[in-house]
Amino acid sequence: MGTGEERYISAFDKDFPEKLKNIPMPPAGIYVKGALPNPEIPSVAIIGAREASAYGISVARYFSRELSKAGIQIISGMARGIDGTAQREAILSGGFSFGVLGCGTDIIYPRENADIFKKILDAGGLISEYPVGTAPKKLRFPARNRIISALSDCILVVEAREKSGTKITVSHALEQGKDILAVPGRIYDPLSRGCNSLIADGAAPALSPESVLEVLGIFRDKGRTKDSLNKNLEEKLSSEERDVLHCLDFDPKGLEEIINDRKLKDVARERIISILLKLQLLGLVNEIGRQKYHLTDKILK
Amino acid sequence: MFSSINTVALNGMDAKLVRAETDISDGGLPILEMVGFLAGEVKESKERIKTALRNSGFLIPPKRITVNLSPADIKKSGSAFDLPVAISLIQAMGLIPEEGIGSVCMAGELSLSGDVIGINGVLPMVMYARDKGFKRFIVPYANREEGGAASEIEVIGVKNLAEAAEYLSGNQEIMPSQMSVRQLLRQSREYESDFSNIRGQKALKRGIEVAVSGMHNILIIGPPGSGKTMAAKCIPSILPELSEDECLEISRIYSVAGALGPEGLVLQRPFVNPHHTVTAQALAGGGSKPRPGAVSMSHRGVLFLDELPEFTRGALEILRQPMEDKEIHISRAAGSCTFPADFLFAAAMNPCKCGFYPDRSRCSCSEPEVRKYLSKISQPLIDRIDISVEAQEINFEDLRRRDEEEETSAEIRGRVTDAVEIQKKRYEGTKIKFNADLKIGDLKRYCPVGEKEEELLREAFSKLGLSVRAYHRILRCARTIADLYHSDRINTDHLAEAIAYRSIDRRYWHGDR
Repeated sequence: MGTGEERYISAFDKDFPEKLKNIPMPPAGIYVKGALPNPEIPSVAIIGAREASAYGISVARYFSRELSKAGIQIISGMARGIDGTAQREAILSGGFSFGVLGCGTDIIYPRENADIFKKILDAGGLISEYPVGTAPKKLRFPARNRIISALSDCILVVEAREKSGTKITVSHALEQGKDILAVPGRIYDPLSRGCNSLIADGAAPALSPESVLEVLGIFRDKGRTKDSLNKNLEEKLSSEERDVLHCLDFDPKGLEEIINDRKLKDVARERIISILLKLQLLGLVNEIGRQKYHLTDKILK
Repeated sequence: MFSSINTVALNGMDAKLVRAETDISDGGLPILEMVGFLAGEVKESKERIKTALRNSGFLIPPKRITVNLSPADIKKSGSAFDLPVAISLIQAMGLIPEEGIGSVCMAGELSLSGDVIGINGVLPMVMYARDKGFKRFIVPYANREEGGAASEIEVIGVKNLAEAAEYLSGNQEIMPSQMSVRQLLRQSREYESDFSNIRGQKALKRGIEVAVSGMHNILIIGPPGSGKTMAAKCIPSILPELSEDECLEISRIYSVAGALGPEGLVLQRPFVNPHHTVTAQALAGGGSKPRPGAVSMSHRGVLFLDELPEFTRGALEILRQPMEDKEIHISRAAGSCTFPADFLFAAAMNPCKCGFYPDRSRCSCSEPEVRKYLSKISQPLIDRIDISVEAQEINFEDLRRRDEEEETSAEIRGRVTDAVEIQKKRYEGTKIKFNADLKIGDLKRYCPVGEKEEELLREAFSKLGLSVRAYHRILRCARTIADLYHSDRINTDHLAEAIAYRSIDRRYWHGDR
């Protein structure tokens, strides 16, 4: 699939995606590098904040991986944070992903996602309304968002602030009549406020990847939350290791806090540090900043 | 009549023997002429000396008097030549016997009244003179204690010029001042801050303990108000006791800088924390007359930089060479000199501009902003930091938990001292003093790891994306942790702890990718 060559598809072309035709202000044509989303297969837009929390990143990964495994195409804006993470995970887990850009397809923005800009050509493609050489400018991103929602069958908002670009995508999606799902969060968490208010306004709460699949009409056995995590994995761990694991959360916790945890009263400090390293090497725990540990999405399956 | 008196000139820490020669000849007009590559303050000394002599009861004969400071090719600066020149004059006048004067050295400044005033750099001067085989050194009374710390040389403190002349003529006895460094060091000392005053922060305290035990450079990261500075200020209280040699080494530097306190010696390991507006020159030392900078003032102690990213790039970059070579070379137009600079580097910083990353409920710094903040510290500097630890915000619960006894600095110091002893024994006969000094070539010999440990390292190396440099730092640090447990072998727990303390890596600051 996919060549590095960019092609232009006008709205009158037979290849022009049907989904883009039936929206308010349809694009006159699009520039494509790689492939276009397969209209036969459902696609989900996973979107959210750029400056996401560790929790948001884990959730984006988890949903993206599970949906990719179910064969769903992941569409997003290649941005920092939730967007890029979801797309990277989709590609890594062998799924398909499509990036809709607010600049020319030759421009790698943001830099830190340079890796997926390359890989996505073999696992999907890049789509833009703008010709080669168009610089990334803030004013173009809201317009780009209407294409993200148009190409998707439903929109999954992972983390969003009260006022954000994500909200613009959502309003486009509502205008286009798409289903909206939002990952609920804590009420005081500014990064979850956007999601929670979407749910209050009628968006479906995304409690697990299955809830997204249900909206798409795909049914699987549901209900895997942190409590019923990954039995196989847990069985391999010693009781001390399990205790440490249960002290952790998706929000980063400092080493100090972990050592002082009542549940780990009987475990020596050096053991805790050793176990944390082991859990990191197993991929269950991740360190962010310095000595702040949090659970990864791996724990969810 | 001709006379010659020995004195010492200092350039930075380097001493040179200088002779103050005076010739009084009968021919020509009466004049007092001073030559010998003199700096401004030494030229001025002519007037001081003339007046001081008159006020001390000596009459300068109305003859042609020439004073020369030899060798004439090194620049003479400072006020320490007043006394030797004056004594040389008195001797040339025939008022002091010549015999025995060859084994005496002296230095001091004169006031117009004839009093001898204290000067900087007495300790290195006296030590140099002793090494050159001098038997006695006459110093200002104010510097007698500092000078007395040098052994195997009689140090005589004089209050005024007349007293010095009387002493040299044999008319007055002055007891040499002596200071037992060992006794002074044995006196118990009070430290300003003690670790028992810090509630909680076990991980941070432990990190500092490991750093101090192996003299590893340490970086403390944490949100504002988490007690980073307070913890760093406690570092001196757990540093191993000073040895006599170390005490003299530090005191020499402080003597040159004129920073010795009333006790005459530096009896505690120094803790220097320059403000972040400090210039590169103030850190490194220098000036037309080279003075030691902060890196030398913290020799054998701690150099603590609070708010590390706020320091100018130039100031931080200047630290690299002394951190590597344990001394600093300063080159100026007047010549170059070297100061020792073997310090434990400690620094504190916030994880981002606002200080709360990765707590996204409070930190809204964007990833590029966080990265930019970190990148204010250059990679080569980061590469020289073995340990980085987190300071956690203290919550109310911790503050309230009064019942739990916190460990005192003395207890921690006990463990540190043990670990230092172990290192001393292990590195006997080598140049290495602490684990932090281990070069890559030494690691194989001193930090052997078993198969299980090798496996853990290999896995960590690939999964955590460690660099080769980080790998070596981890080994060094694991060696210290093993020493703290009195263990010959490095086991997986030691390695895990060392890995947890590994230095920051910008690539993985945002978690794995």
